[in-house]
Amino acid sequence: MPRGGTMRFIHRLFLILWLIIIPISFFVEAVEASGPVPLSPETVRLTATNVPPEPSVLGDPADTVAAPLEPLAFFHPDEGSVSISEDERLIQVALVYVQPLEPSGEEYSGTLADPLEPVNRAFFKFNDKLYFWVLKPVATGYNVVVPEDARVGVRNFFSNVTTPVRLVNCLLQANFKCAGTETLRFLINTTFGFAGFLDTAKKEFHLEKADKDLGQTLGIYGIGFGFYMNLPILGPSSLRDTFGYVGDVFLDPQTYLITSIPISVAVRAYYQVNETSLTLGGYEDLKESAIDPYIALKDAYYQYRQNKIRQR
Amino acid sequence: MKRTRLYLCFLVLLVLGIAVPGLAGVSEEKIKQTTDRILSIVMDPALKNPSKAEERKKLIRSAVDERFDWTEMTRRALATHWAQRTPEEKKEFVRLFSDLLERTYLGKVEDYSGEKVRYEGETIDGDYSVVKVKIVTKKNKDIPVHYRLRKEGNDWLVYDISIEGVSLINNYRTQFNSIITQSSYENLVKQLRAKITQK
Repeated sequence: MPRGGTMRFIHRLFLILWLIIIPISFFVEAVEASGPVPLSPETVRLTATNVPPEPSVLGDPADTVAAPLEPLAFFHPDEGSVSISEDERLIQVALVYVQPLEPSGEEYSGTLADPLEPVNRAFFKFNDKLYFWVLKPVATGYNVVVPEDARVGVRNFFSNVTTPVRLVNCLLQANFKCAGTETLRFLINTTFGFAGFLDTAKKEFHLEKADKDLGQTLGIYGIGFGFYMNLPILGPSSLRDTFGYVGDVFLDPQTYLITSIPISVAVRAYYQVNETSLTLGGYEDLKESAIDPYIALKDAYYQYRQNKIRQR
Repeated sequence: MKRTRLYLCFLVLLVLGIAVPGLAGVSEEKIKQTTDRILSIVMDPALKNPSKAEERKKLIRSAVDERFDWTEMTRRALATHWAQRTPEEKKEFVRLFSDLLERTYLGKVEDYSGEKVRYEGETIDGDYSVVKVKIVTKKNKDIPVHYRLRKEGNDWLVYDISIEGVSLINNYRTQFNSIITQSSYENLVKQLRAKITQK
């Protein structure tokens, strides 16, 4: 597929996302406004102005990792975007995070800046409804029809196809060991693993998959999260990871192999259903154990990504 | 050079060979004991009967209670807000929070479908320890779980669990802080109570 075609695909995808989904989200928001978790203007105002962004002041592990790469530090999008003084911010951060004295080497997270909280909360609600009204019923039905082994096979197949994404990111992270395992895994699974349906590389050769993506690579380069973005359909992300995601789409062979947009959308939807069928219950667990599911998901995403950057 | 390296390898092997069986991980051993105990309750065919559900729950609960330091977990989750509470409020919050956590944990245990637990060692730093465990699922996706423990006399008690790098206590800390700063502590207690009585 020529480059122009891919660009057009992504352009259209985003257009669809923003044009169709935003009004729907606000509609859902309006319908739900009388529900149990109303989003008062007071809440919105408080969050928009008072919540400090990533506390890079006190031991943010992502920043520790970024330390040796000083020249790139100016990429930190959160720098200068704070309306409160550095002192005030320091006090706020200190107040929340000094209290539990953690032993050395322990990770503890701060909070991720969320200037778009009202929009994010709307998308969160949209995704929540998408899950319970569409994705879950479809995945549950699919679950009944297709045995688990086959669904794991499909997961393996997609994972094998997207090897270039991980391989390129291994190289970008100068991690040649994982570049080697990814290459080997691809060769072994494509041949002995029946076009990738079986993970022979892991089962027989103990070659573990290296889950690398561009957002993580950028994080390792020292680029901060920016701010939180709860994307429609795609879910939790950040400014940096959204850029990373778009970049990863360019590295994904499916983008070039499937030239028809409807088929491409169908394939991605199928992938999503298959993944959901293997993780049914996970989202319900999160919602059930959380006091504020939106914050819980945001923080889980933040910690998960920080951890990915830390362990490289 | 080559000889030094060979010698080093030999030394490492020697040390490992002696040390590993001797120090099979004090805190790791505790996690293993609790996990095995819970799994034996879950797998017990005599307790599978729906009429025994309450008894089964009680047994699991007591096994969990023994290993988890609820007060420490609550203190860490409330962070700066902990010091501002009266002893009665603290006590009540510990009870509510542990109820919620136990529910979550028990729910997970009930879902158990023969996944294997692989122990991957411990790191001890003074009175603190991290025990690394991997849950091996049949879905070709392993879940790394880290237990954080604190030494309490001769025992090791869990004060945090992180799953795939997401610390449970940090997650609640962010939620609690967000709710308290945006409304009030009283409102948080109200929401927590509603959550527990929900089911």
